[in-house]
Formats: sequence, structure tokens, C-alpha cells
Amino acid sequence: MKHLIPEFEKWKKRFPPGFDSAMVMLCVRRIQDDRGFVADSDIDGLAGYLGVPRMQIEEVLSYYTQFRRRPIGRWHVQACRNVTCSMRSAEKLIDHLARKIGVAPGNTTPDGRFTLSTVECLGSCGTAPVVMINDTYHENMSIEKLDELLEGLK
Amino acid sequence: MPGRQLIMNFPVTATSHTLADYLARGGYQALKKALAMAPQDITKEVTASGLLGHGGAAFPVGRKWSVVKLNDNQPHFLCANADEGEPGTFKDRWILEHAPHLLLESMLITSHALQVRNAFVYIRGEFDLPYRRLAAAVEEAYEAGYFGERILGTDFACDIVVVRGAGSYVCGEASGLLSSVEGKRGYPRNRPPRLTVKGLFQRPTVVNNVETLANVAGIITMGAEAFKQVGVAKSPGTQLVSISGHINRPGVYEVEYGYPLKKFLFDDCGGILGGGKLKCIIPGGISTKVLTAEEIEPLTYDKASLEAAGSQLGSGGMIAIAEGTCMVRLLQVMLRFYHHESCGQCTPCREGMGWMHRIIDRIVGGKGVPEDIERLYTISKLNDGTTICGMGDAAGYATVGILNKYRDEFEYFIEHKRSKLSGNLEAPVHA
Amino acid sequence: MPEIFINGQPVQAADDETVLQAALRNGYFIPYFCWHKSLSIHGNCRICGVQPEGKNWVEIACNMPVAEGMRVLTDSDLVREHRKATMQFITLNHPVDCGICDKAGECTLQDYHFEYNGGRSISIDAKVRSTKHVELSKRIVLDNERCILCTRCVRFTREISKSNALGVKQRGDESLVRASEDGAFDRDAYSDNVIDICPVGALLSRSFLHQARVWYLKPTPSVCPGCARGCTVNLWHRKPEWKLRALDPKQNVSIARVTPLENPAVNGLWICNKGRDLAPIFERARAEQPMLKGQPTDLPGAIAAARGLIAGAKQPVALVSSWGSNEELAAFAGAFRDRFATFVKADHLPADGEPLQDDLLIRADKNPNTAGARALFGDAPAAFAEGTDLVLVWGEGCNFAGLPRGAKVIFLNAYLQPENGHADAFIPISIQTERSGHYTNFEGTVSAFAACFPKPPSVADAEQLFAELAPPAGRRA
Repeated sequence: MKHLIPEFEKWKKRFPPGFDSAMVMLCVRRIQDDRGFVADSDIDGLAGYLGVPRMQIEEVLSYYTQFRRRPIGRWHVQACRNVTCSMRSAEKLIDHLARKIGVAPGNTTPDGRFTLSTVECLGSCGTAPVVMINDTYHENMSIEKLDELLEGLK
Repeated sequence: MPGRQLIMNFPVTATSHTLADYLARGGYQALKKALAMAPQDITKEVTASGLLGHGGAAFPVGRKWSVVKLNDNQPHFLCANADEGEPGTFKDRWILEHAPHLLLESMLITSHALQVRNAFVYIRGEFDLPYRRLAAAVEEAYEAGYFGERILGTDFACDIVVVRGAGSYVCGEASGLLSSVEGKRGYPRNRPPRLTVKGLFQRPTVVNNVETLANVAGIITMGAEAFKQVGVAKSPGTQLVSISGHINRPGVYEVEYGYPLKKFLFDDCGGILGGGKLKCIIPGGISTKVLTAEEIEPLTYDKASLEAAGSQLGSGGMIAIAEGTCMVRLLQVMLRFYHHESCGQCTPCREGMGWMHRIIDRIVGGKGVPEDIERLYTISKLNDGTTICGMGDAAGYATVGILNKYRDEFEYFIEHKRSKLSGNLEAPVHA
Repeated sequence: MPEIFINGQPVQAADDETVLQAALRNGYFIPYFCWHKSLSIHGNCRICGVQPEGKNWVEIACNMPVAEGMRVLTDSDLVREHRKATMQFITLNHPVDCGICDKAGECTLQDYHFEYNGGRSISIDAKVRSTKHVELSKRIVLDNERCILCTRCVRFTREISKSNALGVKQRGDESLVRASEDGAFDRDAYSDNVIDICPVGALLSRSFLHQARVWYLKPTPSVCPGCARGCTVNLWHRKPEWKLRALDPKQNVSIARVTPLENPAVNGLWICNKGRDLAPIFERARAEQPMLKGQPTDLPGAIAAARGLIAGAKQPVALVSSWGSNEELAAFAGAFRDRFATFVKADHLPADGEPLQDDLLIRADKNPNTAGARALFGDAPAAFAEGTDLVLVWGEGCNFAGLPRGAKVIFLNAYLQPENGHADAFIPISIQTERSGHYTNFEGTVSAFAACFPKPPSVADAEQLFAELAPPAGRRA
């Protein structure tokens, strides 16, 4: 992660001085966006750079659902399974996704193209059911719309 | 329009979130006015306005701010809570996407009032577009000199950082949020000490919901008295309500407090999907107790009215549920959520959430026993007031609320090993 | 100094106290798992809940600052219900491992179950399973099913040993205590203290695992000889009435485990890992055979020979043991102060890789009574003047090759080593666990140790031996 340090140094200017630990969430995300996941060497590097215990970074990586220590598929298909989405056919959608993509939620296709996950409320209940693919919300989804969407994701 | 609009009072266009458009709407004039006021006078004005928090607890905002001692030789912090994790809630997102500068200007005013040099916005990790809009607005604001040193030519200096979460509901709880900003697991904390005494990095900190803060600029502009003219006595102002579920026109609406609830549901929001009948609503996020169609008949949308009916305003995340929806399956989805989101610190919630989830899974799987209903009541009661944060209590309220009003459905499911209704959570009209 | 009321009775509290501390200090017991007097407050177990008088809820006492006039109830119906409920939750997924768990007999969970719950679980669902027998470090094994996530161990590594080696991974009821992946917990010289502070049988010592039921053992107060800090410890060994008949008799005279003996003046509640490993230090192969130049003899014979050597020496030098007790050293001084040029020997030097000295307990001087010895004999380095014709070596660590050629050697040693057979007179002696006495630590604090085991019949006690070795004029009546 060392090549990201100049960027982190710029961020530091807006943080309160002496509280570098507050940069952890942003730095971890940046490292993950850069590499696709957070590697063991990144943990050492970040802990050293911020002066926090290595265990703190390990804990953070295991606690938050969006952080990962292993690569996943090119397209992370995250289907909301919470209250309103379930009331607007998310359960059917998730079943369909599992069959269509060919893996159960929590798994990656052998060719590395898709990872399927079920997630909790994404804060988009007004346009339920919602599926988040990588960073983008796909709202008002239906089986047809999803099929079309997945077609286009290589 | 469900009443007067204080926040959603401009047309949303492709550029309405930009600094140029915001300035054209009169933006950053309130900041100018506030910087000419003494910090304590800003707090006085906000206190006088009666503004209550919009994050779910409805705590008087001015009273929270007053705890922060001015001129005490230590850093103070302000954190805007943009975690918006309460299921059914998506109204802060509207502000982040369409009125980010309203939030930023309000945060500057608040920072001046509380002598805050470093402000934070904590935004949930999944909100990508809202984050990019907000981050862009922050850059615009810095470039225009609204952040940094010597703001608008005064001694006031302020920096802001947008910290992104990464998938934890309890980081929407104020102390869990601060634990995350500190770069750690999102563990809520016991009080005492109050966060306004020892918060972020053990310094005096105010955590306010995005919508709460978004009201501050308006209060400075119009004054506390004018603000109190909007809404009703115990609930001044408005609430951004996110409505979803089996409703024809879901979305974010600004509802003036005191507006008739039934009118809102059936006129403004178009009533139930496919012309169906309303069974019940969850008024403000799944932690609030359900209200049946009969119960909402006489209600107005404000704190006193909902509390008298045995529920709460909550986060403003309203979910409309049509007749024929199986409440057992609905509770199952909720308990699965609470189980997934428990941080695991304290005994009643850590063990209780999993326990309730396993019980309801068993009921839905046809293996429930009559005592399971009492177990759910007991576990809910044992989480009431005994936990580090409100999540344990919330799960209990959601459970008890549904059990109290729909016990027959649970008894049926246990006895017949299937739902009394279709068992499907979709609106039955599709059948 | 606020006055508060517990169960209606007035109690004088200290200014910065919590209700829990004030209650415990005044004899009102409030149960607790996660609170610990030497660690920060976490407040996660919830069992210390007390009822504010007049209210119908409970609040945790461990995080409740006292205030003048405060009134709380620690024994009301509501509090008892709350404790019972908390026990129901804590034991919900706790495995009933008592039959095979080392903690049985000294387990807070067991004690509180009988005291505050005592009934069956109201759950009919299977318990959540988790990892058992996790190698948290080479010394400590962790059972996550037994763990109640009180986080005392995590806080210990953050606040006391400062290794930051432990943390909690994942969340909810899948939370797991884990050690950091860089092996920091293996390098934490104080790691084993988490075994003591764990309120359940989740953290266990691998060396003690399944060795003995604690109720068959008794603790004898002693002092760790590992360094000049002289931490007070309890040496645990089988109670006389519970001696094993069928197995190796050595098991009845061995140290099963070592735990800290609380001592505000020296080590507080803690000891380092070296102090845990006293059995391998004390129980090395013993010298039990007196010898004259390698030829076996009996004790009186060896003593007589040594006495003769001393009487005939013109320039005797003595190297006294820094593991000798104050009593033994005083006896030597009384018998030989004017006779021998006496120097204090460092019996043990730091081993390769051993932690040298730190801000917590560990001292670079790896001997328990250097201070006691130097108080009598000064701190000059050993020097053999021209004409030294006798060297009396007491204890280990002597560089025999450095002794003057031609000088006779009297060697007093407890352990088997080749040099025993080279000495002109060799007398085997007792070790710390076979007698009582005192050590003086590097700060001048004196601590006592007591005997655990009888000494082998053919070895001498140094304290009596010195009187017998002295020439008639110096001999005690």
C-alpha cells in the first residue's frame, strides 16, 4: 500500500492533528479499491503508517461486511433481503440470481465473473427491490431487468 | 404537498446540488449571519426553535448542544450521522444527493456554535452516489472558502472530512459511529460519560442526524419564532418521511408535523398497491411499533400523536403493509437483520438476537411450539433497558409490537405449520 | 466523599468511585464478569445491574459514578430477576463442559449459576457451536464456546502488557477472541495472566491442561526466583490427603502450576511467563550424593572433610549464592564473615532470547536475592588474590575454569552438574521449595516463601550447614 501514502498524506491535512487513527476507515477502503482486497502486507503497512496496533486493523477488517481479505469476482452482485425489498419480491429475485449465476449467496463463480451476496437494507426502499453491483445501485429491479443487466457484465 | 416545505423547497434538476444553484437559492447567507453571532447565541436560537433530533430519538437539539462547555481548552468535534441504516429509511440520502450544501452550511453554523475546528460526516459505505455528491460539494465549498482558515474573513476556521462506513448498522448509533470514526470496530459505548462530555477520542462531541443539521441553516435564516410556526407545539418544523412498501407512490416526502397521517398515506402517497387495503404501517423504521389501519385513523404525524398511540416517530422510515401480508414472515426478516447486525458486545443482545432468530426460523420452518411466543416476549423484555445501546431494545419493541397485534397469526403458524395468509411477503394483489 | 445508600444503609463512598467499587469495599457483593479492578470498564456482561431505588429498571453498577444521596438496591426482586436472566443469556450457548474443563472448582460462571440461576435453560434450540482448542499462543489454548466475551483478556493486552496482541474478530454471536496474526501474543512475556483473569474456562494453560483438578491442589505462598523483582506467587501442588498412589511418586512432590499471589508492594496481580515455568527450574535433576573428589561418601563425612579444608586454608575465598535466602546468608555471615573474602555470585545470567528488563516487572538481574546478599557482602566483583588456596562455591553459575589453579574447592549445589564430581568436597543442598525463608528484592522489599515439599534425606540445609562447617570458635552453641 506504500504507493498510496502520498494520497493519504494529502488527506491528513484535513484531519485533526494527532488523531491519525481516524484515517483507518478511509485508508482501508482506498487500499481495497486499489488492490481489490486487503492483503496481509497491507495490514502491516497501514498499521505502521498510522501507528496503530496491527490487531486493530485485523479487527476492523473482520467486523465490517464490506471489507475483504480475499479477492472476489469481477462483479459483486449484492441483493438486498431486508423488509421492504422482501415485500417487493426480493426473495424471488435472490432465488433467480442464485440459479442464473449458478452459485449460492456468499460464493463466487468458478470463472471469477460474479460473486453473489445478500445484504441488509441499502437505504433505497422507495425503489425496491434493489440490487447493488460493485458500487452502483440498480433500483426498481425485476427478473427481466436483472437478466438484461447481467448479460452486459462480462 | 403534505404541508409546508422547509427543505425540499426547490425543484430537483441535474444541477440543483451544485454550489452555483445553491447560492442562487440564497445559500451560505445563513452562515454569514451566524458568523456575526456569538456561539452561545446560535445555540440559544436552536434551543428556542424546539428543534428535535431526526435520527430516531427525537432529543431536543439545543439541549444536547448546551452540554458542550465553550472555551474549555480542548478540541470539540461535530459528526453528522449519514449512516442511515434503519430499514425503511432513505431520507437523509435525498439531502446528500440533492442538497449537500444545505448540510455543509448547517454544519459550519453548528461548528461555530460549538467551537468545533474539525467536523466529520460519517456516511454509510454503501452510499456511493451520495458520497460522491457530498465529496464534490465539500471540494466546491473549500474552493469557495467556506472551509479552511479565516472563513468569510472571520477568525472562524473549520475543516471537514467525510468518513465512509463499511457495512454495520450499529455505526448509525452515535457512539458506535464515533468508534468507527476512531478507526476501530463500530462498538457502541456505555454512558456515562455522555458523548457531549467525552465523545470522539474522549473529547466533547455532538453527533446529529443529517436532516437535523439540515434544519439549522433555515432556523438561523427565519429565526426560532418563525420556525415554531411550522408544525405543531411539541413537534415544530417538518420531517422528511421515506415511505415504501405496498404503497403506490413510494419516495421521500417532506411532511409538516401535525399533518393527518391517513391523508398522507392515501392522498399524497396514493394508497395501497393495486387498490388493496392497508393492514398496518411501521411508522418510523422497523424499531417502531406497528400501527394497525384502525389505529392510524385519527392520528396526525407528530411526536405526541404517535406516542399516544403507543408508537414513535423514529427515523421517519415508514413502511406500508397491505392486508394479506404474513406478519410472521415479516418479523422473520427483521429478526434476521437484528441478528446479523448485533455488534456482540453485551450479553442480552448478542445471545438474544440469535436466539430470537432461531426461534422464528423454527416457527416458519414448521417446527414451532406454543411456548415459543412466550419465549419471544421474554427475550424482548430481557433486552429492554439492559443493553449497551438501543438495538437490543429495538428488536424487542419490533417483536412485541407485532406479537401484541398479530398473535393469532403466530399461533396459527405454530399449530398448522404454515402461514395463516399467503406466506408471501409481496402485496397479495399480484395473486 | 459522597454518602450513598445501598439497600437503605448509608455507605461512605470515595469521590471517583463507582457504585460497584463502593459496594464491594463495604461488604455488599454485586456479581461481575467483565469488570476487573486493574482494567478499564467495558460494561458488557450486564450482570452487575442494580436497581435505583424507586425506579423499575436496572443499571450496571460498574459504570455508575457515585453521587451524594444516591440510593440503590442490590438485592431486590427486580435485581434477582435480572441476574437470573443474565445468567440465562450467558449460559445460552455455553457448553456444559464442566466435566472436562480445567476451570471447574474456580469458575465464576459455575459459582454464579448456582447462586443466581440454578435452573434449566428456557431455550429448546441447539447451542451455537464454535472453535474449541484454538492455539492462541504456544502457551495458551482458547475455547471459543466457553468464552463469554467479557474482553478482560483483550483489555489486559491493551492496558497492562501493552502487546495489543488480542482482539475480537467478526461480530454478534459469531464474535471470536483471537490473537494477532504476527505472533505478538507468543512474544507477550505476560500472556499467561489472561488465564487467571478469564472468569470461565475459555483460556487455559497448555502445560497445566488436564493435569489435575484444582480442588486436589493446595497453594503455598512463595517468591519467584526468576529475577530480582521477586514477585510473590502461589505454587500449587497436591494436597497431602489427595496424593496419588498409583502413579509416579514424583507427581506428589511436583509443582502443578504457578499463579500470582497479589502483592501491592511488588507485582500487583501479575507475574511474567517465566514465573509460570518454575517447575522446570526447580525440578531439574537433583544432586543427592555427597562426594569427595567424585568418590561417594556420607553427609557427615563430606562435612568433616569440608571443615578440615576450611580450617587449613590460609586465604579462602567464598562465592555466595544470590539464590540464598536472607536466613542462609546471615548464617554464612555469622560463621565466616571474618574468615573468607566473600563475593556475591550471580547464579543465573539471562538466557539467550530471554526478555531482559521492561517497564512492568522483569528485571535484568535473574536472581532473587542479590540485594540480600549484597547487603551483607557488598557488590565487588569476585577477585582471587595471590595465594588463594580455597574457594567455597555456594550455588550455581560459577565459572570453574576461572578459579585459581591449585586452590581447593568446596562446592555446595542442589543440582546435578559435572563439576560436582571435581570438587574436593561436594555437599548437596536443599532448594527453595523445601524450606521457608525470605528474599530481598531490588527495591529492598522483603518477601517470604514457605516450604512445599520435604527435602531429600541426603541433602543438607545450607543454613544449618554453615554453622557446622565453621571452625570450633565460630560454631554456634
